Amino acid sequence: MGQKELKVAFLLALRSLQRGSRSSTLLTILIIGMCFTNMIFLPSMFSGIGQSITQQLIDYEVSNVLVSPKSGEQYITDLDSTLDLINGMPGVQRASPQYSKGATFKYRQRVLGISVRAISPADEKEVSPVYTRMVAGSYLGEGDTGEIIIGKPIAGDPTVRQEDEFQASLGGVRVGDSVTVEYGNGYTRDYRVKGIYLTGWSPVDNAAFVTWTDMEQVEGKTLDQANYITVRAKPGYSEQFIKNELLAYGVGVTGNVQTMTDLLSKSVGKVLQSFAIINAVSLVVSVIITTVVLFIVITIKTLNSRKQIGILKAIGVDKEVIMHNYGFQVIILGILGIILGIFITLVLAAYMSVHPIVTPEWSAYLYVTPMDLVINSVILFCAAAVAGYVPAYQVSREEIQTAMRA
Amino acid sequence: MIEITDLRKIYRMGNVEVRALDGVTLNIEKGEFLGIMGPSGSGKSTLLHMLGLLDLPTSGRIVIDDMDISRFTDYEKTMFRLYKLGYVFQDYALVPDLTVMENVSLPAMLRKDRTEEQTKKDSFSILQKIGLCDRRDHLPRELSGGQQQRVSLARAMVNKPDILFADEPCANLDTENSRVVLELFKEINESMHQTIVMVSHEDWHKEYFHRIVRMRDGRIVSDGINDAPKTTA
Repeated sequence: MGQKELKVAFLLALRSLQRGSRSSTLLTILIIGMCFTNMIFLPSMFSGIGQSITQQLIDYEVSNVLVSPKSGEQYITDLDSTLDLINGMPGVQRASPQYSKGATFKYRQRVLGISVRAISPADEKEVSPVYTRMVAGSYLGEGDTGEIIIGKPIAGDPTVRQEDEFQASLGGVRVGDSVTVEYGNGYTRDYRVKGIYLTGWSPVDNAAFVTWTDMEQVEGKTLDQANYITVRAKPGYSEQFIKNELLAYGVGVTGNVQTMTDLLSKSVGKVLQSFAIINAVSLVVSVIITTVVLFIVITIKTLNSRKQIGILKAIGVDKEVIMHNYGFQVIILGILGIILGIFITLVLAAYMSVHPIVTPEWSAYLYVTPMDLVINSVILFCAAAVAGYVPAYQVSREEIQTAMRA
Repeated sequence: MIEITDLRKIYRMGNVEVRALDGVTLNIEKGEFLGIMGPSGSGKSTLLHMLGLLDLPTSGRIVIDDMDISRFTDYEKTMFRLYKLGYVFQDYALVPDLTVMENVSLPAMLRKDRTEEQTKKDSFSILQKIGLCDRRDHLPRELSGGQQQRVSLARAMVNKPDILFADEPCANLDTENSRVVLELFKEINESMHQTIVMVSHEDWHKEYFHRIVRMRDGRIVSDGINDAPKTTA
């Protein structure tokens, strides 16, 4: 197959698309474009959900590395020296401890059970962006006492009746209001609501934060223990590096050290695995649909052109040229369809980045990387080429007389 | 130039055997304008298809320029059709998506011994010869039947073939257009010493042929020189 033959095959393909049925050409491009969008939409959506969950876990629960109590123990002890050790390590931006205690909140006639988390606001700001998610009032300050910040779902909406609420709330707490908090140990205190936040991450939005000093008053002692410590890595340092450092410095003796990836594989790993299975099935189904559709389109095209194929062979056009003619047609259609599919996908991704699908647990948007586009384009292109060449190969081998009589 | 020996073509339709060609033996000389005539079903088109390498005989032998074409591979047959043979079909058989110029150029574009410039020049020259140069950018559907057949003839001639086959080229044309096309064949035969084998069932076409072979039931029933062929004015 020389250059001349390929040139003739390309000319025949181009002219057939240019001067053949425009509606059929446009329809085929549209089908390929929609197949591409179908191939990439669901996996990208799941990737978006996965990314969203992962980012929220990093931001609001784990940060990069989590130090939790050893098995069978409730707290990490010897907190001050552990924090000094961690904060002094290379690659660690900041370590922030949290101490949680169950409590009952009372506001007007409403009563609600909530977990109160004690934090050191300055440290927490370095590991978690909750302070940037304030919808009313302000974040806790380092020296604050008697002040509390609560999630918006807890604060509630005064315009919604209690029986109509999706989840129980305090019925419309506002910044500056006073709420009574009765801790599990019987300690009761009135707090002024300093701020209301909304992160979109349910476990945090359904909690309340007070300062470490306030919690020490609740416990009636200096707190040298924590439920867990979240550790933020400096940019450029990997989680694994920080974990190895912590273990090397002996933090593993007082607590369990796990990276976000370790935790992710345990907690949402199965969910992400399920997503991966759905993605694979969706991809296979899309590729099969695309291949079959293109196969039918090209088969119809070749069957309608059997007489012409016979004539071309009769005047000395080699069967390879005829086969490549249809091959080129499907390649051109495939490329145009893929371009259309990429355009549709990018438009959808742009739209969903502004209007994501929001649930109490996560917000879903299309997470599309250039590599996703390239891989899906290559897969679709190969499927299109196979779908085009198979009928072209079959028809190009037909006897001249049989083809001409068609 | 062409030696046909005991050529047979048998089609089987269930248990019925149809002998489309039944022992045809014939020699065709270079430069001849041979007419194969006969009623429908006499085997004239089948014979032309065998000579044009469009179909395979059941038995017998065809030798063109001392080459036994039954020994050719599929690719060799394709190349033989491209370089040595020209074919004009009854229904013009032009590629509908190509312009007149592209249709005519198509066989020449595939020849390895022609440059792009030469292909263009040859196509242009043949279009001038048939008087359709001004229609070169038109699509076949924009031409009359006679014009389309002239384009088909130009396409068959663009590679300057050794033998030109024509399968009832005037079957779809009126008498006036038929005469124009037949005159073109005659002119090509005379001016270029082109071997032409034409199938026809119109009796008045015989005035253009040098030699007339008549067929019936797959056999040659007469083979004779036309004593008074029409000459170009």
